[in-house]
Amino acid sequence: MNLKAGYFIRRVLLLIPLLVGLSILTFSISRVVPGDPVGLAAGPQATPEIKAALRKEFGLDQSLPVQYYKYVSGLFKGDWGQSLYSRRDVADDLRAFFPATLELTLAAVFIAAVLGTILGVFAALYQNRIPDHLSRIIVLFFVSFPQFWLAMIFQLIFGLMLDWFPISKRLDVLTPPPERITGMYTVDSLLRGDLETFGASVKHLFIPALVLSFGALASITRITRANMLEALDKDFVKMERAVGLPEKLVIGKYVLRTVFIATLTVISLEFGWLMAGAVLVETIFDWPGLGLYIVESSLRLDFQPIMGITIIYGIVFSTVNIVTDLLYGLLDPRIRYE
Amino acid sequence: MSKKQSRSLSSARNQLRWEGLQRGIYRFRNNALSMVGLAILSLVLVVAIIAPFVVPYPEDATGATHVMERLQPPSKAHFFGTDKVGRDIFSRVLMGTGLALQVGTTIILMAATIGITLGSIAGYFGRRVDDLIMRITDIFLAVPALVLAIAVTAALGKGITNVMIGISLVWWPGFARLTRSLVISLKEEAFVEAANGIGATHFRILFRHILPNAVSPIIVKMSTDFGFAVLTAAALGFIGLGAQPPTPEWGAMINDGRAYFPSEWWVAVFPGLAIFLVVFSWNLLGDGIRDVLDPRSRR
Repeated sequence: MNLKAGYFIRRVLLLIPLLVGLSILTFSISRVVPGDPVGLAAGPQATPEIKAALRKEFGLDQSLPVQYYKYVSGLFKGDWGQSLYSRRDVADDLRAFFPATLELTLAAVFIAAVLGTILGVFAALYQNRIPDHLSRIIVLFFVSFPQFWLAMIFQLIFGLMLDWFPISKRLDVLTPPPERITGMYTVDSLLRGDLETFGASVKHLFIPALVLSFGALASITRITRANMLEALDKDFVKMERAVGLPEKLVIGKYVLRTVFIATLTVISLEFGWLMAGAVLVETIFDWPGLGLYIVESSLRLDFQPIMGITIIYGIVFSTVNIVTDLLYGLLDPRIRYE
Repeated sequence: MSKKQSRSLSSARNQLRWEGLQRGIYRFRNNALSMVGLAILSLVLVVAIIAPFVVPYPEDATGATHVMERLQPPSKAHFFGTDKVGRDIFSRVLMGTGLALQVGTTIILMAATIGITLGSIAGYFGRRVDDLIMRITDIFLAVPALVLAIAVTAALGKGITNVMIGISLVWWPGFARLTRSLVISLKEEAFVEAANGIGATHFRILFRHILPNAVSPIIVKMSTDFGFAVLTAAALGFIGLGAQPPTPEWGAMINDGRAYFPSEWWVAVFPGLAIFLVVFSWNLLGDGIRDVLDPRSRR
């Protein structure tokens, strides 16, 4: 156990140089490049004096190392800079938008894990027969669509034509969002015991999350299938079958467990992919998360938000990877860390 | 070793390679899905080449407008309808094929070149160099590619060239990691030690002995990544960071069509189908390539 603790402490400590590197990277992206964000923010009529004043206000007139130092020390104090465009604090914006993206991504990962496991298990059980080929085609099919385009089509089918689901935002204009605990509407409304709002937010969440989940379906299905085939080939399965355990029990109780543990790593790696895919899905569904925020900021060359979002993505992504490792170790005690 | 012996040795090796290739082709041809992918992709390639000569309104891809004919539904005159300034969408979609393929190819080639170079240096020389390169790789891998690509492209400025540069700059770490791990395991092989023992240069060992044996997994990655690269480029075009009008870039065309969706659905639907066709056929093909080059992946 001590060994494990040491391993994870080291992993967490390694996050520090990683984040320093990331802050240098985002800082260089935002400062060393051409383009004139101040000119863009000030508008076409701005006189050189106005621009100079703006530059001073945002500290852009100082030397780069000084700017970097100020930026990083600000990060630690919770001062993530201001948007050139809206003048709002980036940290406040991130706090407001992050839970929306997290909720969408978690829902999508959940859907992808369920669908992918089912498809992968069936593919393996019927190896090289029709269900196997079918599952292969289905996942390749859905992963090949541009997600923003598929999102529009789903909006059309499920929203306008069938009228089963609302097609944009997290809640109707008339429904007040639940009082904030985590910022995720589904979780908060449940915690507050407001089932009506919960139902409404799940309805709003479902189609965007479904579209987003397709991005991870192919790899989860593929890895489940491979792991399943490997597990089915193990001696313990042969033994269980030989002593006459019912197939349902062999698969359901013994094989699936090992398969799922092996699949878990892939699922959590997909978390990062899906969080990135959320950028596109959010634009279509008007989902007020980090994705919509970074798209708008990138079109306006508004660098403080872009830097902040990139760093948030980095922190979440790296944390997920560490947590995965930890879970993996808890679920499979044979794993040793060095 | 005499010359004659070495020649017979190398011809035996060629014989082996040839047989391996034949087995691979056999496996590939027996995979109906990859053959379908190959067929569609060949068609796409042909379209990309002949589009400028056969589309009904080639000038619509280069800036001509016909406002009188705006937003017409699909008809005999305009198979895919017309867009907000009356351009023929059929012509624009077909003319955009070459661009999409070019963009995907450029991104993968640039990313692979950077990744393979850094990855083999890191894997071969190890120690400090390895540490340094891999820490940089980790930083790039810490943020999802699409997000970093948006940031980089926004900084470089809008435009299709910057999209390609931006995506390549965030895409290489995958190749670097893969190449590094391949090089590290190949470095321990007897034939590398032998080459080292007879005094071959590092350069020669790396390029003559190690990298040729690492080609298969790298090609598999290139082929599976191609579809994603096309999708990512289209996504940046859709966001508005990519090709600017009137370039017939599919992602930008879908963005154009958003304002008219769903009443004038054809503006957005056909470019999307085109992206799908290219990515889908490539994914089918890539699946087959993986089976051929990495038989363990499929049983």
